[in-house]
Amino acid sequence: MRDRKGRPGKLKAGIKYCGGCRPEFDRVAVVKELREALGEAIEMVRMDDEEADFILVVTGCKTACVDVESLPLKAKKYISSLSDARRVMEELANKTKT
Amino acid sequence: MNKLMNAKEYEESLRKLKLKVYMFGKRVENVVDDPIIRPSMKAVAATYEYAHKPEHEDIMTATSHLTGKKINRFTHIHQSVEDLVKKSKMGRLLGSQTACCFQRCVGMDALNALSITTHAIDEKYGTEYNKRFLKYLGYVQENDLTCDGAMTDPKGNRSLSPAKQFDPDLFMHVVEERPDGIVVSGAKAHQTGAVNSHEIIVMPTITMREEDRDYAISFALPSDAEGITYIMGRQSCDTRKLEGMTFDRGNMFYGGHEALVVFDKVFVPWERVFMYKEYDFSTMLVEHFAAYHRQSYACKVGVGDVLIGAAQTIAEYNGAERASHVKDKIIEMNHLNETLFCGCIACAAEGHREPGGTYQNDLLLANVHKQNVTRFPYEIARIAQDIAGGLMVTCPSAADLASPEVGKWVEKYYRTRDDVPTEHRLRILRLIENITMGTAAVGYLTESMHGAGSPQAQRIMIARLVNMKHKQKAAKELCGIEKGDQVS
Repeated sequence: MRDRKGRPGKLKAGIKYCGGCRPEFDRVAVVKELREALGEAIEMVRMDDEEADFILVVTGCKTACVDVESLPLKAKKYISSLSDARRVMEELANKTKT
Repeated sequence: MNKLMNAKEYEESLRKLKLKVYMFGKRVENVVDDPIIRPSMKAVAATYEYAHKPEHEDIMTATSHLTGKKINRFTHIHQSVEDLVKKSKMGRLLGSQTACCFQRCVGMDALNALSITTHAIDEKYGTEYNKRFLKYLGYVQENDLTCDGAMTDPKGNRSLSPAKQFDPDLFMHVVEERPDGIVVSGAKAHQTGAVNSHEIIVMPTITMREEDRDYAISFALPSDAEGITYIMGRQSCDTRKLEGMTFDRGNMFYGGHEALVVFDKVFVPWERVFMYKEYDFSTMLVEHFAAYHRQSYACKVGVGDVLIGAAQTIAEYNGAERASHVKDKIIEMNHLNETLFCGCIACAAEGHREPGGTYQNDLLLANVHKQNVTRFPYEIARIAQDIAGGLMVTCPSAADLASPEVGKWVEKYYRTRDDVPTEHRLRILRLIENITMGTAAVGYLTESMHGAGSPQAQRIMIARLVNMKHKQKAAKELCGIEKGDQVS
Protein backbone atom coordinates (compact mmCIF):
# COMPACT_ATOMS: atom_id res chain seq x y z
CA MET A 1 0.00 0.00 0.00
CA ARG A 2 1.50 3.34 -1.07
CA ASP A 3 0.54 6.98 -0.75
CA ARG A 4 0.56 9.52 -3.61
CA LYS A 5 4.31 10.02 -3.36
CA GLY A 6 4.97 6.31 -3.55
CA ARG A 7 5.84 5.93 0.12
CA PRO A 8 4.32 3.19 2.24
CA GLY A 9 0.88 4.48 3.24
CA LYS A 10 -0.90 4.51 6.56
CA LEU A 11 -3.70 2.03 7.10
CA LYS A 12 -6.82 3.23 8.84
CA ALA A 13 -8.54 0.62 10.97
CA GLY A 14 -11.97 1.08 12.54
CA ILE A 15 -12.30 -0.90 15.77
CA LYS A 16 -15.38 -2.81 16.87
CA TYR A 17 -15.27 -4.77 20.10
CA CYS A 18 -17.74 -7.32 21.39
CA GLY A 19 -19.23 -6.55 24.81
CA GLY A 20 -16.59 -8.52 26.69
CA CYS A 21 -18.70 -10.53 29.13
CA ARG A 22 -16.16 -13.37 29.56
CA PRO A 23 -13.17 -12.61 27.38
CA GLU A 24 -10.58 -15.36 26.92
CA PHE A 25 -7.89 -12.74 26.34
CA ASP A 26 -7.42 -9.03 27.00
CA ARG A 27 -9.03 -7.48 23.92
CA VAL A 28 -7.96 -3.92 24.63
CA ALA A 29 -4.36 -4.97 25.35
CA VAL A 30 -4.21 -6.88 22.06
CA VAL A 31 -5.32 -3.83 20.07
CA LYS A 32 -2.82 -1.69 21.96
CA GLU A 33 -0.07 -4.20 21.17
CA LEU A 34 -1.05 -4.23 17.53
CA ARG A 35 -1.00 -0.46 17.40
CA GLU A 36 2.43 -0.32 19.04
CA ALA A 37 3.86 -3.05 16.81
CA LEU A 38 2.73 -1.35 13.60
CA GLY A 39 3.64 2.13 14.79
CA GLU A 40 2.86 4.90 12.34
CA ALA A 41 1.87 2.44 9.65
CA ILE A 42 -1.59 2.14 11.17
CA GLU A 43 -4.10 4.56 12.57
CA MET A 44 -7.03 3.46 14.70
CA VAL A 45 -10.15 5.42 13.87
CA ARG A 46 -13.79 5.34 14.81
CA MET A 47 -15.65 2.33 13.52
CA ASP A 48 -17.93 4.56 11.43
CA ASP A 49 -15.10 6.71 10.03
CA GLU A 50 -15.66 6.87 6.27
CA GLU A 51 -11.92 6.81 5.63
CA ALA A 52 -11.39 3.54 7.46
CA ASP A 53 -9.78 0.98 5.14
CA PHE A 54 -11.26 -1.91 7.08
CA ILE A 55 -12.90 -2.77 10.37
CA LEU A 56 -11.08 -4.80 12.98
CA VAL A 57 -13.69 -6.87 14.84
CA VAL A 58 -12.26 -7.93 18.20
CA THR A 59 -14.25 -10.53 20.12
CA GLY A 60 -13.32 -12.05 23.47
CA CYS A 61 -14.38 -15.57 22.54
CA LYS A 62 -15.30 -17.66 19.51
CA THR A 63 -19.00 -17.07 20.10
CA ALA A 64 -18.41 -13.62 18.62
CA CYS A 65 -21.88 -12.33 19.46
CA VAL A 66 -20.95 -8.83 18.35
CA ASP A 67 -23.53 -7.10 16.20
CA VAL A 68 -21.70 -7.17 12.84
CA GLU A 69 -24.78 -6.47 10.73
CA SER A 70 -24.98 -2.89 11.97
CA LEU A 71 -21.38 -2.19 10.94
CA PRO A 72 -20.51 -0.26 7.76
CA LEU A 73 -20.15 -2.38 4.66
CA LYS A 74 -16.38 -2.61 4.62
CA ALA A 75 -13.79 -5.33 4.70
CA LYS A 76 -13.51 -6.88 8.13
CA LYS A 77 -10.70 -8.61 9.91
CA TYR A 78 -11.63 -10.74 12.89
CA ILE A 79 -9.66 -11.33 16.07
CA SER A 80 -11.21 -13.78 18.49
CA SER A 81 -8.07 -15.33 19.98
CA LEU A 82 -4.41 -14.54 20.54
CA SER A 83 -3.45 -16.61 17.49
CA ASP A 84 -5.88 -14.58 15.40
CA ALA A 85 -4.19 -11.45 16.72
CA ARG A 86 -0.75 -12.71 15.67
CA ARG A 87 -2.02 -13.63 12.23
CA VAL A 88 -3.68 -10.25 11.69
CA MET A 89 -0.61 -8.44 12.98
CA GLU A 90 1.65 -10.27 10.50
CA GLU A 91 -0.79 -9.66 7.68
CA LEU A 92 -0.98 -5.94 8.40
CA ALA A 93 2.77 -5.66 8.90
CA ASN A 94 3.34 -7.18 5.45
CA LYS A 95 0.71 -4.96 3.92
CA THR A 96 2.20 -1.77 5.29
CA LYS A 97 5.68 -2.75 4.07
CA THR A 98 4.64 -3.21 0.46
CA MET B 1 -32.29 14.86 21.71
CA ASN B 2 -31.50 11.39 22.99
CA LYS B 3 -29.18 11.39 25.97
CA LEU B 4 -26.76 8.59 26.65
CA MET B 5 -25.52 9.84 30.00
CA ASN B 6 -22.03 9.17 31.29
CA ALA B 7 -21.17 8.59 34.95
CA LYS B 8 -20.60 12.25 35.71
CA GLU B 9 -23.83 13.36 34.09
CA TYR B 10 -25.71 10.66 35.97
CA GLU B 11 -24.25 11.82 39.28
CA GLU B 12 -25.17 15.43 38.50
CA SER B 13 -28.72 14.37 37.57
CA LEU B 14 -29.12 12.78 41.00
CA ARG B 15 -28.07 16.01 42.71
CA LYS B 16 -31.19 17.67 41.28
CA LEU B 17 -33.49 15.21 43.06
CA LYS B 18 -35.09 16.23 46.33
CA LEU B 19 -35.28 12.83 47.98
CA LYS B 20 -36.44 12.41 51.56
CA VAL B 21 -33.93 9.86 52.86
CA TYR B 22 -33.37 8.68 56.43
CA MET B 23 -30.46 6.65 57.79
CA PHE B 24 -29.51 5.92 61.39
CA GLY B 25 -32.57 7.92 62.45
CA LYS B 26 -31.51 11.13 60.75
CA ARG B 27 -32.40 12.86 57.49
CA VAL B 28 -29.64 12.53 54.89
CA GLU B 29 -29.28 16.00 53.39
CA ASN B 30 -26.65 15.15 50.76
CA VAL B 31 -27.49 11.69 49.46
CA VAL B 32 -24.99 11.61 46.59
CA ASP B 33 -21.96 12.36 48.76
CA ASP B 34 -22.93 10.36 51.81
CA PRO B 35 -19.99 7.99 52.42
CA ILE B 36 -22.22 4.97 53.03
CA ILE B 37 -24.50 5.56 50.04
CA ARG B 38 -21.93 6.86 47.56
CA PRO B 39 -20.34 3.50 46.60
CA SER B 40 -23.79 2.28 45.57
CA MET B 41 -24.27 5.40 43.44
CA LYS B 42 -20.94 4.69 41.77
CA ALA B 43 -22.06 1.14 40.95
CA VAL B 44 -25.08 2.53 39.10
CA ALA B 45 -22.81 5.13 37.50
CA ALA B 46 -20.80 2.23 36.04
CA THR B 47 -23.90 1.20 34.05
CA TYR B 48 -23.71 4.62 32.38
CA GLU B 49 -19.95 4.77 31.95
CA TYR B 50 -19.64 1.33 30.40
CA ALA B 51 -22.16 2.28 27.72
CA HIS B 52 -19.53 4.73 26.45
CA LYS B 53 -16.64 2.28 26.43
CA PRO B 54 -15.93 0.93 22.92
CA GLU B 55 -14.91 -2.40 24.42
CA HIS B 56 -18.31 -2.84 26.13
CA GLU B 57 -20.88 -0.81 24.22
CA ASP B 58 -22.01 -3.77 22.11
CA ILE B 59 -23.51 -5.29 25.26
CA MET B 60 -24.32 -2.09 27.12
CA THR B 61 -26.34 -0.39 24.43
CA ALA B 62 -29.27 -1.31 22.20
CA THR B 63 -31.43 0.25 19.50
CA SER B 64 -34.73 1.66 20.71
CA HIS B 65 -37.73 0.10 19.00
CA LEU B 66 -39.54 3.41 19.57
CA THR B 67 -37.05 5.79 17.99
CA GLY B 68 -34.35 3.71 16.30
CA LYS B 69 -31.81 5.57 18.42
CA LYS B 70 -28.95 4.12 20.42
CA ILE B 71 -29.96 3.76 24.07
CA ASN B 72 -28.60 2.23 27.25
CA ARG B 73 -29.70 -1.42 27.35
CA PHE B 74 -31.14 -0.85 30.82
CA THR B 75 -33.95 1.19 29.23
CA HIS B 76 -34.53 -1.22 26.34
CA ILE B 77 -37.53 -3.42 25.58
CA HIS B 78 -36.19 -6.75 24.32
CA GLN B 79 -36.87 -7.14 20.62
CA SER B 80 -35.19 -10.49 19.99
CA VAL B 81 -33.63 -13.54 21.57
CA GLU B 82 -30.29 -11.86 20.95
CA ASP B 83 -31.41 -8.96 23.14
CA LEU B 84 -32.29 -11.39 25.92
CA VAL B 85 -28.91 -13.12 25.65
CA LYS B 86 -27.08 -9.82 25.71
CA LYS B 87 -29.00 -8.86 28.82
CA SER B 88 -27.55 -11.90 30.61
CA LYS B 89 -24.09 -11.08 29.33
CA MET B 90 -24.44 -7.49 30.50
CA GLY B 91 -25.28 -8.75 33.99
CA ARG B 92 -22.16 -10.90 34.12
CA LEU B 93 -20.00 -8.11 32.73
CA LEU B 94 -21.13 -5.52 35.27
CA GLY B 95 -21.04 -8.00 38.15
CA SER B 96 -17.44 -8.78 37.30
CA GLN B 97 -16.53 -5.09 37.12
CA THR B 98 -18.25 -3.92 40.32
CA ALA B 99 -18.45 -7.09 42.49
CA CYS B 100 -21.76 -5.87 43.85
CA CYS B 101 -25.36 -5.18 42.93
CA PHE B 102 -25.42 -2.39 40.33
CA GLN B 103 -29.14 -1.93 40.98
CA ARG B 104 -30.38 -0.96 37.54
CA CYS B 105 -31.71 -4.32 36.28
CA VAL B 106 -34.89 -4.21 38.32
CA GLY B 107 -36.20 -1.15 36.49
CA MET B 108 -35.40 -2.73 33.12
CA ASP B 109 -37.30 -5.84 34.16
CA ALA B 110 -40.29 -3.78 35.33
CA LEU B 111 -40.40 -1.91 32.01
CA ASN B 112 -40.35 -5.16 30.01
CA ALA B 113 -42.99 -6.85 32.17
CA LEU B 114 -45.25 -3.80 31.86
CA SER B 115 -44.80 -3.67 28.09
CA ILE B 116 -46.31 -7.17 27.92
CA THR B 117 -48.98 -6.78 30.61
CA THR B 118 -50.32 -3.39 29.55
CA HIS B 119 -50.75 -4.75 26.03
CA ALA B 120 -52.65 -7.76 27.36
CA ILE B 121 -54.96 -5.66 29.58
CA ASP B 122 -55.78 -3.41 26.66
CA GLU B 123 -56.58 -6.43 24.49
CA LYS B 124 -59.16 -7.65 27.02
CA TYR B 125 -60.64 -4.41 28.32
CA GLY B 126 -60.02 -1.87 25.57
CA THR B 127 -58.05 0.34 27.96
CA GLU B 128 -55.12 2.49 26.91
CA TYR B 129 -52.46 1.42 29.37
CA ASN B 130 -50.00 0.39 26.66
CA LYS B 131 -50.24 3.80 24.99
CA ARG B 132 -49.52 5.45 28.34
CA PHE B 133 -46.72 3.03 29.01
CA LEU B 134 -45.03 3.63 25.66
CA LYS B 135 -45.15 7.38 26.23
CA TYR B 136 -43.54 6.84 29.63
CA LEU B 137 -40.97 4.47 28.13
CA GLY B 138 -40.06 7.12 25.55
CA TYR B 139 -39.43 9.56 28.40
CA VAL B 140 -37.23 7.05 30.24
CA GLN B 141 -35.22 6.22 27.12
CA GLU B 142 -34.91 9.82 25.99
CA ASN B 143 -33.46 10.87 29.33
CA ASP B 144 -31.55 7.63 30.06
CA LEU B 145 -33.16 7.27 33.47
CA THR B 146 -32.60 4.76 36.23
CA CYS B 147 -35.87 3.23 37.44
CA ASP B 148 -36.46 1.39 40.66
CA GLY B 149 -38.78 -1.54 40.00
CA ALA B 150 -40.79 -1.73 43.21
CA MET B 151 -42.68 -4.96 43.75
CA THR B 152 -42.25 -6.31 47.29
CA ASP B 153 -44.87 -5.10 49.77
CA PRO B 154 -44.27 -5.59 53.51
CA LYS B 155 -47.08 -8.20 53.25
CA GLY B 156 -48.02 -8.31 56.97
CA ASN B 157 -49.55 -11.62 57.99
CA ARG B 158 -48.55 -14.04 55.23
CA SER B 159 -51.64 -16.18 55.78
CA LEU B 160 -53.98 -13.32 54.89
CA SER B 161 -54.78 -11.70 51.54
CA PRO B 162 -54.15 -7.95 51.07
CA ALA B 163 -57.77 -7.00 51.78
CA LYS B 164 -57.81 -9.01 55.03
CA GLN B 165 -54.71 -7.51 56.69
CA PHE B 166 -55.27 -5.70 60.00
CA ASP B 167 -53.56 -2.64 58.47
CA PRO B 168 -54.61 -1.89 54.87
CA ASP B 169 -51.27 -0.18 54.15
CA LEU B 170 -49.33 -3.46 54.42
CA PHE B 171 -49.96 -3.78 50.69
CA MET B 172 -49.83 -0.79 48.34
CA HIS B 173 -53.37 0.33 47.57
CA VAL B 174 -55.47 3.16 46.22
CA VAL B 175 -57.01 5.36 48.91
CA GLU B 176 -58.67 7.97 46.72
CA GLU B 177 -59.72 8.36 43.11
CA ARG B 178 -59.70 11.84 41.60
CA PRO B 179 -60.55 13.16 38.14
CA ASP B 180 -56.85 13.73 37.43
CA GLY B 181 -55.41 10.62 39.07
CA ILE B 182 -55.27 8.42 42.14
CA VAL B 183 -53.86 8.69 45.65
CA VAL B 184 -51.96 5.66 46.99
CA SER B 185 -50.62 4.54 50.34
CA GLY B 186 -48.38 1.67 51.37
CA ALA B 187 -44.73 0.75 51.20
CA LYS B 188 -42.24 -1.27 49.21
CA ALA B 189 -39.53 -3.12 51.10
CA HIS B 190 -35.96 -4.17 50.18
CA GLN B 191 -35.79 -1.61 47.37
CA THR B 192 -32.41 -2.04 45.75
CA GLY B 193 -30.92 1.16 44.46
CA ALA B 194 -33.99 3.18 45.44
CA VAL B 195 -32.18 6.40 46.33
CA ASN B 196 -30.02 6.18 43.19
CA SER B 197 -33.10 6.14 40.96
CA HIS B 198 -34.81 8.92 39.02
CA GLU B 199 -38.09 7.02 38.85
CA ILE B 200 -39.93 4.39 40.84
CA ILE B 201 -42.18 1.89 39.06
CA VAL B 202 -44.67 0.19 41.38
CA MET B 203 -46.19 -3.23 40.70
CA PRO B 204 -48.38 -5.58 42.77
CA THR B 205 -46.43 -8.21 44.63
CA ILE B 206 -48.76 -11.23 44.54
CA THR B 207 -51.79 -12.61 42.77
CA MET B 208 -54.84 -10.50 43.62
CA ARG B 209 -58.46 -11.65 43.87
CA GLU B 210 -61.58 -9.58 43.32
CA GLU B 211 -61.66 -8.55 46.99
CA ASP B 212 -58.14 -7.12 46.49
CA ARG B 213 -59.09 -4.85 43.56
CA ASP B 214 -57.84 -1.71 45.30
CA TYR B 215 -54.43 -3.34 45.61
CA ALA B 216 -54.13 -4.35 41.94
CA ILE B 217 -52.34 -1.21 40.83
CA SER B 218 -49.23 -0.34 38.89
CA PHE B 219 -47.82 3.11 38.27
CA ALA B 220 -44.65 5.16 37.94
CA LEU B 221 -43.56 8.27 39.80
CA PRO B 222 -40.51 10.51 39.99
CA SER B 223 -38.46 9.21 42.91
CA ASP B 224 -38.78 12.55 44.70
CA ALA B 225 -42.57 12.80 44.41
CA GLU B 226 -44.32 14.42 47.36
CA GLY B 227 -45.12 11.89 50.08
CA ILE B 228 -42.35 9.35 49.36
CA THR B 229 -39.86 8.65 52.16
CA TYR B 230 -36.80 6.35 52.00
CA ILE B 231 -35.46 4.57 55.08
CA MET B 232 -32.07 3.01 54.38
CA GLY B 233 -31.38 -0.59 55.30
CA ARG B 234 -28.29 -1.50 57.31
CA GLN B 235 -25.64 -3.79 55.91
CA SER B 236 -23.08 -5.89 57.71
CA CYS B 237 -19.89 -3.79 58.19
CA ASP B 238 -21.57 -0.71 56.64
CA THR B 239 -19.86 1.79 58.96
CA ARG B 240 -16.43 0.74 57.71
CA LYS B 241 -17.24 3.16 54.90
CA LEU B 242 -17.07 5.95 57.50
CA GLU B 243 -13.44 5.09 58.24
CA GLY B 244 -12.12 6.70 55.07
CA MET B 245 -10.60 4.99 52.04
CA THR B 246 -8.87 2.20 53.94
CA PHE B 247 -8.63 -1.28 52.50
CA ASP B 248 -10.76 -2.57 55.35
CA ARG B 249 -13.79 -1.80 53.17
CA GLY B 250 -12.71 -4.66 50.87
CA ASN B 251 -14.21 -3.25 47.69
CA MET B 252 -12.58 0.16 47.36
CA PHE B 253 -15.02 1.51 44.80
CA TYR B 254 -18.49 0.00 44.73
CA GLY B 255 -21.38 -1.28 46.83
CA GLY B 256 -25.14 -1.69 46.89
CA HIS B 257 -27.99 -0.50 49.04
CA GLU B 258 -31.60 -1.28 49.90
CA ALA B 259 -34.31 0.86 51.41
CA LEU B 260 -37.84 0.74 52.75
CA VAL B 261 -39.85 3.12 50.56
CA VAL B 262 -42.94 4.59 52.20
CA PHE B 263 -45.79 6.10 50.17
CA ASP B 264 -47.92 8.31 52.41
CA LYS B 265 -50.97 9.41 50.42
CA VAL B 266 -49.03 9.99 47.22
CA PHE B 267 -50.75 11.41 44.15
CA VAL B 268 -50.29 9.61 40.81
CA PRO B 269 -51.60 11.28 37.62
CA TRP B 270 -53.63 9.01 35.32
CA GLU B 271 -51.03 9.16 32.54
CA ARG B 272 -48.65 7.29 34.85
CA VAL B 273 -51.10 4.58 35.93
CA PHE B 274 -50.53 1.28 34.07
CA MET B 275 -52.92 -1.02 35.94
CA TYR B 276 -55.96 0.02 37.93
CA LYS B 277 -57.97 -2.66 39.67
CA GLU B 278 -57.57 -5.23 36.86
CA TYR B 279 -56.83 -7.84 39.51
CA ASP B 280 -57.02 -10.64 36.95
CA PHE B 281 -53.76 -9.37 35.40
CA SER B 282 -51.79 -9.17 38.64
CA THR B 283 -50.50 -12.73 38.25
CA MET B 284 -49.38 -12.03 34.71
CA LEU B 285 -47.43 -8.94 35.71
CA VAL B 286 -45.85 -10.68 38.70
CA GLU B 287 -44.84 -13.78 36.74
CA HIS B 288 -43.41 -11.92 33.74
CA PHE B 289 -41.48 -9.58 36.00
CA ALA B 290 -40.26 -12.49 38.12
CA ALA B 291 -39.02 -14.41 35.09
CA TYR B 292 -37.11 -11.40 33.79
CA HIS B 293 -35.70 -10.61 37.19
CA ARG B 294 -34.70 -14.21 37.90
CA GLN B 295 -32.68 -14.06 34.68
CA SER B 296 -31.08 -10.84 35.93
CA TYR B 297 -29.24 -12.85 38.56
CA ALA B 298 -26.68 -13.32 35.81
CA CYS B 299 -24.91 -10.58 37.75
CA LYS B 300 -23.97 -13.12 40.43
CA VAL B 301 -21.87 -14.95 37.85
CA GLY B 302 -19.83 -11.79 37.46
CA VAL B 303 -19.44 -11.38 41.21
CA GLY B 304 -18.46 -15.06 41.28
CA ASP B 305 -15.75 -14.29 38.71
CA VAL B 306 -14.27 -11.76 41.14
CA LEU B 307 -14.52 -14.11 44.12
CA ILE B 308 -12.86 -16.93 42.20
CA GLY B 309 -10.11 -14.54 41.14
CA ALA B 310 -9.66 -13.50 44.76
CA ALA B 311 -9.53 -17.13 45.94
CA GLN B 312 -6.88 -18.02 43.37
CA THR B 313 -4.89 -14.92 44.35
CA ILE B 314 -4.91 -15.66 48.09
CA ALA B 315 -3.96 -19.26 47.35
CA GLU B 316 -0.93 -17.97 45.45
CA TYR B 317 -0.09 -15.43 48.16
CA ASN B 318 -0.25 -18.21 50.74
CA GLY B 319 1.91 -20.50 48.58
CA ALA B 320 -0.91 -23.05 48.45
CA GLU B 321 -1.88 -22.78 44.79
CA ARG B 322 -0.20 -26.05 43.80
CA ALA B 323 -1.90 -28.15 46.48
CA SER B 324 -4.18 -30.59 44.66
CA HIS B 325 -7.17 -29.95 46.94
CA VAL B 326 -6.87 -26.19 46.38
CA LYS B 327 -6.74 -26.68 42.62
CA ASP B 328 -9.81 -28.91 42.84
CA LYS B 329 -11.68 -26.35 44.94
CA ILE B 330 -10.98 -23.66 42.37
CA ILE B 331 -12.28 -26.01 39.68
CA GLU B 332 -15.43 -26.57 41.73
CA MET B 333 -15.97 -22.82 42.10
CA ASN B 334 -15.65 -22.38 38.35
CA HIS B 335 -17.95 -25.32 37.68
CA LEU B 336 -20.65 -23.86 39.90
CA ASN B 337 -20.22 -20.37 38.48
CA GLU B 338 -20.35 -21.45 34.85
CA THR B 339 -23.38 -23.63 35.63
CA LEU B 340 -25.10 -20.44 36.76
CA PHE B 341 -24.06 -18.82 33.50
CA CYS B 342 -25.59 -21.76 31.59
CA GLY B 343 -28.95 -21.08 33.25
CA CYS B 344 -29.14 -17.39 32.49
CA ILE B 345 -28.04 -17.93 28.90
CA ALA B 346 -30.42 -20.85 28.40
CA CYS B 347 -33.53 -19.05 29.62
CA ALA B 348 -32.64 -16.18 27.27
CA ALA B 349 -31.84 -18.39 24.28
CA GLU B 350 -35.20 -20.16 24.71
CA GLY B 351 -37.07 -16.84 24.80
CA HIS B 352 -40.10 -16.07 22.67
CA ARG B 353 -42.09 -13.19 21.20
CA GLU B 354 -45.15 -12.05 23.12
CA PRO B 355 -48.20 -10.65 21.25
CA GLY B 356 -47.12 -7.02 21.67
CA GLY B 357 -43.68 -7.76 20.20
CA THR B 358 -41.69 -7.86 23.44
CA TYR B 359 -39.45 -10.88 23.89
CA GLN B 360 -39.90 -12.86 27.08
CA ASN B 361 -37.33 -15.29 28.43
CA ASP B 362 -38.31 -18.90 29.16
CA LEU B 363 -40.21 -18.95 32.45
CA LEU B 364 -39.29 -22.49 33.49
CA LEU B 365 -35.58 -22.10 32.78
CA ALA B 366 -35.51 -18.66 34.45
CA ASN B 367 -36.93 -20.22 37.60
CA VAL B 368 -34.47 -23.11 37.45
CA HIS B 369 -31.64 -20.60 37.03
CA LYS B 370 -32.73 -18.55 40.02
CA GLN B 371 -33.16 -21.70 42.11
CA ASN B 372 -29.49 -22.48 41.39
CA VAL B 373 -28.61 -18.92 42.37
CA THR B 374 -30.19 -19.48 45.80
CA ARG B 375 -27.58 -22.21 46.37
CA PHE B 376 -24.39 -21.98 44.35
CA PRO B 377 -23.09 -18.58 45.53
CA TYR B 378 -23.24 -19.92 49.10
CA GLU B 379 -21.10 -22.90 48.12
CA ILE B 380 -18.71 -20.71 46.12
CA ALA B 381 -18.43 -18.40 49.14
CA ARG B 382 -17.82 -21.36 51.46
CA ILE B 383 -14.98 -22.62 49.28
CA ALA B 384 -13.51 -19.10 49.03
CA GLN B 385 -13.47 -18.87 52.82
CA ASP B 386 -11.93 -22.35 53.01
CA ILE B 387 -9.09 -21.32 50.69
CA ALA B 388 -8.68 -17.90 52.32
CA GLY B 389 -8.08 -19.33 55.80
CA GLY B 390 -9.11 -17.94 59.15
CA LEU B 391 -6.99 -14.83 58.80
CA MET B 392 -9.81 -13.33 56.75
CA VAL B 393 -11.72 -12.76 59.98
CA THR B 394 -8.88 -12.35 62.47
CA CYS B 395 -6.43 -10.04 60.75
CA PRO B 396 -5.86 -6.58 62.25
CA SER B 397 -7.12 -3.43 60.62
CA ALA B 398 -5.49 -1.28 58.00
CA ALA B 399 -4.83 1.23 60.77
CA ASP B 400 -2.84 -1.38 62.68
CA LEU B 401 -0.74 -2.12 59.62
CA ALA B 402 -0.05 1.61 59.30
CA SER B 403 0.64 2.06 63.02
CA PRO B 404 4.15 3.28 63.93
CA GLU B 405 4.00 1.10 67.03
CA VAL B 406 2.59 -2.25 65.89
CA GLY B 407 2.62 -2.02 62.11
CA LYS B 408 6.02 -3.73 61.92
CA TRP B 409 4.61 -6.77 63.75
CA VAL B 410 1.59 -7.04 61.48
CA GLU B 411 3.91 -6.67 58.50
CA LYS B 412 6.33 -9.29 59.83
CA TYR B 413 3.96 -11.97 61.02
CA TYR B 414 1.43 -11.85 58.21
CA ARG B 415 4.04 -11.87 55.46
CA THR B 416 4.02 -15.11 53.49
CA ARG B 417 6.44 -14.48 50.63
CA ASP B 418 9.26 -12.11 49.72
CA ASP B 419 7.49 -10.99 46.58
CA VAL B 420 4.06 -10.32 48.12
CA PRO B 421 3.64 -7.29 50.40
CA THR B 422 1.63 -8.04 53.54
CA GLU B 423 -0.73 -5.26 52.56
CA HIS B 424 -1.63 -7.07 49.33
CA ARG B 425 -2.44 -10.22 51.26
CA LEU B 426 -4.68 -8.29 53.65
CA ARG B 427 -6.36 -6.42 50.79
CA ILE B 428 -7.40 -9.60 48.98
CA LEU B 429 -8.59 -11.14 52.25
CA ARG B 430 -10.73 -8.06 52.94
CA LEU B 431 -12.27 -8.37 49.47
CA ILE B 432 -13.21 -12.00 50.16
CA GLU B 433 -14.61 -10.93 53.52
CA ASN B 434 -16.57 -8.13 51.83
CA ILE B 435 -18.21 -10.46 49.32
CA THR B 436 -18.86 -13.42 51.62
CA MET B 437 -19.81 -11.71 54.90
CA GLY B 438 -19.48 -7.94 54.56
CA THR B 439 -21.57 -5.32 52.78
CA ALA B 440 -21.38 -7.14 49.44
CA ALA B 441 -22.67 -10.38 50.98
CA VAL B 442 -26.06 -8.67 51.08
CA GLY B 443 -26.03 -8.80 47.30
CA TYR B 444 -24.01 -11.96 46.67
CA LEU B 445 -25.64 -14.20 49.26
CA THR B 446 -28.90 -13.07 50.88
CA GLU B 447 -30.13 -11.26 47.78
CA SER B 448 -29.33 -14.46 45.85
CA MET B 449 -31.52 -16.30 48.32
CA HIS B 450 -34.50 -13.96 48.53
CA GLY B 451 -34.22 -11.42 45.72
CA ALA B 452 -36.68 -11.94 42.82
CA GLY B 453 -38.49 -14.40 45.07
CA SER B 454 -37.35 -16.80 47.77
CA PRO B 455 -36.45 -20.41 46.83
CA GLN B 456 -39.95 -21.75 47.41
CA ALA B 457 -41.38 -19.26 44.91
CA GLN B 458 -39.24 -20.80 42.18
CA ARG B 459 -40.11 -24.34 43.25
CA ILE B 460 -43.82 -23.56 42.97
CA MET B 461 -43.24 -22.21 39.47
CA ILE B 462 -41.10 -25.19 38.47
CA ALA B 463 -43.84 -27.55 39.63
CA ARG B 464 -46.41 -25.59 37.65
CA LEU B 465 -44.40 -25.19 34.46
CA VAL B 466 -42.94 -28.64 33.84
CA ASN B 467 -44.97 -30.89 31.57
CA MET B 468 -45.28 -33.87 33.91
CA LYS B 469 -47.75 -35.69 31.68
CA HIS B 470 -45.21 -35.66 28.87
CA LYS B 471 -42.56 -37.18 31.12
CA GLN B 472 -44.96 -39.83 32.43
CA LYS B 473 -46.07 -40.74 28.93
CA ALA B 474 -42.47 -41.32 27.87
CA ALA B 475 -41.81 -43.49 30.92
CA LYS B 476 -45.00 -45.52 30.56
CA GLU B 477 -44.42 -46.16 26.87
CA LEU B 478 -40.84 -47.29 27.28
CA CYS B 479 -41.68 -49.84 29.97
CA GLY B 480 -44.70 -51.09 28.08
CA ILE B 481 -47.52 -49.76 30.29
CA GLU B 482 -48.83 -47.71 27.38
CA LYS B 483 -48.48 -48.23 23.66
CA GLY B 484 -46.43 -45.64 21.82
CA ASP B 485 -44.76 -45.39 18.44
CA GLN B 486 -41.35 -46.69 19.46
CA VAL B 487 -39.18 -48.45 16.91
CA SER B 488 -40.04 -52.14 17.20
